[in-house]
Amino acid sequence: MARKLTFKIFRYNPTKENDEPHIDTFELEETPRLNLFTALHLIREKQAPDLMYDFVCRAGICGSCAMMINGRPTLACRTLTSDLADTIELYPLPFFKLLGDLSVDTGVWFHDMAKRLESWIHTTKEFDPTAVEERMDNATANKIYESERCIECGCCVAACATAQVYPDFLGAAGLNRIGRFMFDPRDTRGEQEWFELVSTDIGVFGCIGMMACDDVCPKDLPLLEVFSYIRRKMNSGVKVAVKEMDLA
Amino acid sequence: MTGIDTELYPKAETRHNKTSSAFKNAKKALRDERISGLTGAFLALFIWGHLLAESSIIFGKEVYDIVANFMEVTIPLAQPVIFIVTIAFFVHFIWASRKIPGKLRERKRMLELGQKLQKSREGWQQDPKSDIKLRTHFETSLWITQVRTGMIVLAAGSFHLVLVTWNLFSDMGYLGQAHGFNADLTVARMSSGLWILYSVLMASVVAHMAIGVYRLLVKWLADTWFVRNYAKAFFYLLFTFYIVLGTITIVTASGAWEGLLS
Repeated sequence: MARKLTFKIFRYNPTKENDEPHIDTFELEETPRLNLFTALHLIREKQAPDLMYDFVCRAGICGSCAMMINGRPTLACRTLTSDLADTIELYPLPFFKLLGDLSVDTGVWFHDMAKRLESWIHTTKEFDPTAVEERMDNATANKIYESERCIECGCCVAACATAQVYPDFLGAAGLNRIGRFMFDPRDTRGEQEWFELVSTDIGVFGCIGMMACDDVCPKDLPLLEVFSYIRRKMNSGVKVAVKEMDLA
Repeated sequence: MTGIDTELYPKAETRHNKTSSAFKNAKKALRDERISGLTGAFLALFIWGHLLAESSIIFGKEVYDIVANFMEVTIPLAQPVIFIVTIAFFVHFIWASRKIPGKLRERKRMLELGQKLQKSREGWQQDPKSDIKLRTHFETSLWITQVRTGMIVLAAGSFHLVLVTWNLFSDMGYLGQAHGFNADLTVARMSSGLWILYSVLMASVVAHMAIGVYRLLVKWLADTWFVRNYAKAFFYLLFTFYIVLGTITIVTASGAWEGLLS
């Protein structure tokens, strides 16, 4: 006997006049291996054609479908309804700008974060297309890879109590991003640049260690490892930074 | 999209200056973090030793008196430690509380999110064959507990500090004893009703200490061999051990139980 699922979905369209935030209830019969992506499609097809939510890849790669599912930010496409209770409450991610219903704009925040952190390889080397590629040891490559697996879904920031209160806080995604460039030997930024960039109250020292990011990350990134690496680098880096400036 | 510069590669600021505000702010943030972390670590170490020393009353008044005499006379450690701990106590309060949001609305938001994440397990029944394993998350609520117990420790601990400083340097007239601590003084004080305050203080201190140690270890050592799971196990161990030890100590010291050797 298939379960009858009750969906309680947050509805609000900011562009519509006189629209008030409210909860709509939908019912759906569960089918084997039903995931939330399909469930929402079924609801939109049959019951609420104006329901707004984001999906692109439906395979946990694009990071668009993050939402609060029964109180927890995670990817809807990777969530099977068989993992959930009979009543499924869906809310948009907090912290980000609401576009409507379950759809939020994570892009503006991530773009802004990337610009604040200058999240690109800083180098003065002229690119030589004929030269052999520079080599990197495997451990470093793996570290960079692990950090770069971030799909920018925004779950970590949505689960972070610090980010809810300090909107400027870089969040787990931001710190992970800067860690990625710190690991990278091709990035020529010195200790002093890193120090000024992340040793701040909106950077690594804004983190008070509530670890929600690590618990909710759908890609299981080694976030806490990256943060401690940054912390200790800041702690030892300040002396190097002063030396660097004395030399300059 | 207001306020967002669409230029792809904005010019990096020139930052080669020790007097630049960016560098000064960064140094201040690091200093603040070091102060709050180091005072916290010091106070945690102190509490480990302090509770162990106090628990000597479990073995009877004689053992307690030997320990007290050793601490105060043989190696006069108790007197300077009181000063150092009092200073660390208030410094830790001032520096660690900088992370507590000032507005009630913000604190409520944190509380709401913490509770939601903690309770989210009720809405997830987790098929054993599921692709995704959800972890229970209660660390956000733990931090809020730490803030609350911190406030209790601030109030009750201040009283305790004043009381012991007084005791250590003056003769309170109890039973005509000389300066310093002994088991009779402790039992007289505890059984007169102070055990209520000390129970609250002990439970709060232990919770605050265990959570703080957990977070401190995760923040600084998560990328070493001492990973988060070890820190979490250590947290449970610390909390359970000191709560049990503290409870037995208070029961003994308040005269409800004679102690092991009596």
